[in-house]
Amino acid sequence: MTTPVGTIKREEESAAGHGLCVMTRRRFLMTGSAAAVSVSTISLSLFPGRVVQAEVVEYPRKHIARLSALKDDQPLEFNYPDNEANSAAMLVKMGGVKAGGGIGPQGDVVAFSYICSHQGGPLQNRYKVVDNHRVLGQCPLHLSTFDLTRHGIVVSGQAYENLPQVLLELEGDEIYAVGIMGLLYGRNRNLIKSQKG
Amino acid sequence: MMSIKEYTPGDSVPLPPKGAEKITTCCDYCVVACGYNVYRWPTSMPNGGPKASQNAFGEDFPVAMLRSWVAPTQHNVVMYQGKPHNVVIVPDRDSKVVNIGGDSSIRGGTIAQKCFNPKTPTRDRLIHPLLRINGTLQPVSWDMALDVAAAVGRHVIRHHGANAYSVKQYSYQFVENTYAISKFAKRHVRTASFAFHDTPSDVTSTPGFRDAGFDNFAPSYKDWGDAEVLMICGTDPYETKTMIFTQFIRPAIDRGMKTIWLNPRETAGLAYAKSKGALHIQLYPGTDNLVLGAISRVILERGWEDKEWIESWVNNMWESSSGFGQGTRNTPWQWRTTWGKFQTDGVYGKRGYKQWVISREEYEPRRAAALAGIPVEQIYQAAEWLTGGGSGKRPKASFGIEKGFYWSNNTGNTNAISSLATICGAGGRPGRMVGRFGGHQRGGTGGGKYPRNKSPEKVPGRRRRALDTDRWLVSGHTRLAHVVGTTWIQSMCGTEGLVEKFDELVTNNPHQVSTSDKAGIIATLKRRVDSGGMVVLDHDIYLRDPIGSRYADIIFPAATWGEEDFVRANGERRIRLYSKFYDAPGEAKPDWWIIAQLAKRMGFEGFDWKDSNEVCEESSRFSRGSRKAYHMIKIAAHREGKTLHQKLREMGTEGIQGPTFYNYATGELHGTVRLHDTTLTEAEMESKGMYQGANMLNKKTTHFNSQTGRVNIQKHPWSLFSDYWEWMSPKGDELWHTNGRVNEVWQSGFDDLERRPYIAQRWPENFVEIHPDDAGARGIESGDWVLLYSDRVPYYVHTIKGVSDDDFQFSELMKNGHIKLGKGAAKAVALVTPAVKRGVMFSYFLNPAKGQATNSLQGRVVDNVSGNYNYKIGVARVRKMGESPYKGEFVHMSFAPRNIV
Repeated sequence: MTTPVGTIKREEESAAGHGLCVMTRRRFLMTGSAAAVSVSTISLSLFPGRVVQAEVVEYPRKHIARLSALKDDQPLEFNYPDNEANSAAMLVKMGGVKAGGGIGPQGDVVAFSYICSHQGGPLQNRYKVVDNHRVLGQCPLHLSTFDLTRHGIVVSGQAYENLPQVLLELEGDEIYAVGIMGLLYGRNRNLIKSQKG
Repeated sequence: MMSIKEYTPGDSVPLPPKGAEKITTCCDYCVVACGYNVYRWPTSMPNGGPKASQNAFGEDFPVAMLRSWVAPTQHNVVMYQGKPHNVVIVPDRDSKVVNIGGDSSIRGGTIAQKCFNPKTPTRDRLIHPLLRINGTLQPVSWDMALDVAAAVGRHVIRHHGANAYSVKQYSYQFVENTYAISKFAKRHVRTASFAFHDTPSDVTSTPGFRDAGFDNFAPSYKDWGDAEVLMICGTDPYETKTMIFTQFIRPAIDRGMKTIWLNPRETAGLAYAKSKGALHIQLYPGTDNLVLGAISRVILERGWEDKEWIESWVNNMWESSSGFGQGTRNTPWQWRTTWGKFQTDGVYGKRGYKQWVISREEYEPRRAAALAGIPVEQIYQAAEWLTGGGSGKRPKASFGIEKGFYWSNNTGNTNAISSLATICGAGGRPGRMVGRFGGHQRGGTGGGKYPRNKSPEKVPGRRRRALDTDRWLVSGHTRLAHVVGTTWIQSMCGTEGLVEKFDELVTNNPHQVSTSDKAGIIATLKRRVDSGGMVVLDHDIYLRDPIGSRYADIIFPAATWGEEDFVRANGERRIRLYSKFYDAPGEAKPDWWIIAQLAKRMGFEGFDWKDSNEVCEESSRFSRGSRKAYHMIKIAAHREGKTLHQKLREMGTEGIQGPTFYNYATGELHGTVRLHDTTLTEAEMESKGMYQGANMLNKKTTHFNSQTGRVNIQKHPWSLFSDYWEWMSPKGDELWHTNGRVNEVWQSGFDDLERRPYIAQRWPENFVEIHPDDAGARGIESGDWVLLYSDRVPYYVHTIKGVSDDDFQFSELMKNGHIKLGKGAAKAVALVTPAVKRGVMFSYFLNPAKGQATNSLQGRVVDNVSGNYNYKIGVARVRKMGESPYKGEFVHMSFAPRNIV
């Protein structure tokens, strides 16, 4: 995985300058191989004419935590991509269980929305460790469960999409959130600011 | 076809603008049938904005939980009146019934993806009639396809008899279509070779309910939640009728309702219930009868039964043998029970149910528990929970069943649950009901009477049984197979034998079409039929394999949900209009239209309908007396100067529960909350207008469907089934193999597994759940590709006449050479989990996406009495083939167990 160039000076910085990098990560996440995918798959969008890359690069780059400070299987709550409604998210190091989109030496650090992608149920305190499985749920509303090793795919339940995954980057010991795969519950666009004005 | 399997989640979605049209419909899939709203606006109109004043929901975005949100999978672009329109299809937030407040399942929740859109994997919809010429399906005109089909159809009936014209149709796909098809098949072709998609012959799904007097769908959904103890057999409603669980059962569990589950495996709903103290009786497939009989025995031995209910509502000796009223001597019930196999003298007395169940050694609790593989304490526990255990406080108990149960030992299990429920006082009071949780929605209206006397199949005694269309075909009697909206082959079982026969009769017959000339085509197909071969007509929305892609000579492209106004009822008999909201693709037409054109060409009269409302209005009188009688809606509509469809449209997603009644004096329509409602008063019935005009009040409204209106309590002899069960039981390295559905794909496989990338990534292939002990012994891990295989798949091959009592008993059929042993195999991805019972494997029953359906492993032997298959009974050996790609990647499938709470 490419490491972003340059020195990060501020905690938050637009990821626009790292567009290529984010794209690469996104390809990697969805296919496991950057070479195997074409741009058309990525821009498989319900909006004819819209380009996914443009949306991804608008995401803020936000410092979340230090890798060395994470304890196994103890989720950390944060907000992303802003501090407005439905931005609750969780970061977790899954005790060495490798995951799709996972960062760190063991590929076991992932981040997801904390809001169920069915009808918005809160998923706080529902992180489950069962053998080598890492699951979020059951959602208190309608019992959906999500597999955190597989991009938040629904294990069982009613969710309309995978649990949105927050894309992470690691620079040295610092973990940054740089984008989101999937639409956060309750929003019509993940980035509220860009539709204002 | 199936080109886009990669799912890329969107991160924005268009909102319907203020001016978007709102159209009501219901989900197309499971029996629960949640209410949905379709928001439609032309793509030329700007999308809605995030402020309440800018969108059709009147919501400020982001919205809070349980509000009107739109997920990217809920949006699509369709053609409407020839112009592209956005549609957003979301559960109805204003719903007061079914999915109250706008809840939804994963299937209905993403139903927008079902709509035809050539930019999505739905692009392979059938859009032109096709005719197989030189081995290839080629587009032809409707006239050409229909002329050829009609000419061959007429020829078959004239030269080979009506029974050579076999009709295999869905039972559920809207009343307009089922009425038209069954009118054609039963009233005009008059073929006895007729069956619905899920059974080889035209028979009831639940013989025990029918003979006891219970309607399958008597309870309302609320009754399930109003029970204090609920017994759930052969299903997890969370997985397969989501809203019944999340809206009714789960809140009741949270309030303290006790639940008792009979199920070899554990899924999310069951796991949740267990976390609240549920009793999980994790039995071996096919042993439900024993467990239920043992529970009944404990209850009766200890005197815990509901004596008051039994006194008032259960037939005693005189009532069950003389049959007050019509008499039983010449009714099907009596035919099935003349030799005393089921009939009792009521609960008590020398030939009563109590004496019988106590005398049978298989219902001795320890013995039953041993055969079922469960702790015997569970039998006593269940008996106590269901009755209050003599505490003086009797709980309200309800009993719900589904296919894992009634397709394991069809007659025996349904008789046993009816008897147990009856002694517990269930069946006819709020919160104390008996019924099916349900599979498909209820969209059947009969357009004709099944010509039973033309069926050559006869069981011992006086009884003629509906013809088994599979055996009839295997015996070589079917010359034209007319298939409407079903796969026929893999939706039956022991499928490899059926494939062989289709190959022989269709593909390998020398008379294959090699000309585009209509007369030449007709002549060739007639020669095929006359030479002992078979011609296949197929209506569908997609090309199915193999019935469409390999066998069909002619394919009629069908228009479906959302493409025509249709009517259907749900699992609590709620009747609603499923509105048309976009153009059917290409030349696709609804099945009623296709049938009408074909019927007219075959010289049948009465098929001159202009639109689906006309079909519905004609059909309404045939619904009278049925659980979803909608005739009175038409009466009301006409008095208001409206059509039946218009009247139903006014009722939106709420609709009305059948049977419907009309009070001519007040002009009000009334529905029916539950059938067999013994609490309904004369005054209430009066106020609904039940005694007026064309209203049809029958026994099932306030009583039971028996000759006396009281329940028949029946025996449920294990011996009718035990020889099959023992023969089937795993030998050597075999494991039980049973199959069923998963929540993510449930009556939506044709849409989901192949054409909804979000779901296809979850279940890219079939899977099999294996217990860790069984897997470990065979070196199998989660994510391995395994082969399930068996050389002990029994096929029932002959159409026979029974003479002696036991002629239809499995061991006799075997001895007399009517059962052939075949092979079956299916590939699956292993999911190793303790959620399935040790010694049992569970797979998805009909994954059309890849490989062989696991129904190929299940025995094709019908229930001794009913004529249904026991689909859930099979065995297989399993071995590792290699590692699937899903084992080492992170995008598809999940190997996490479904029962994490």
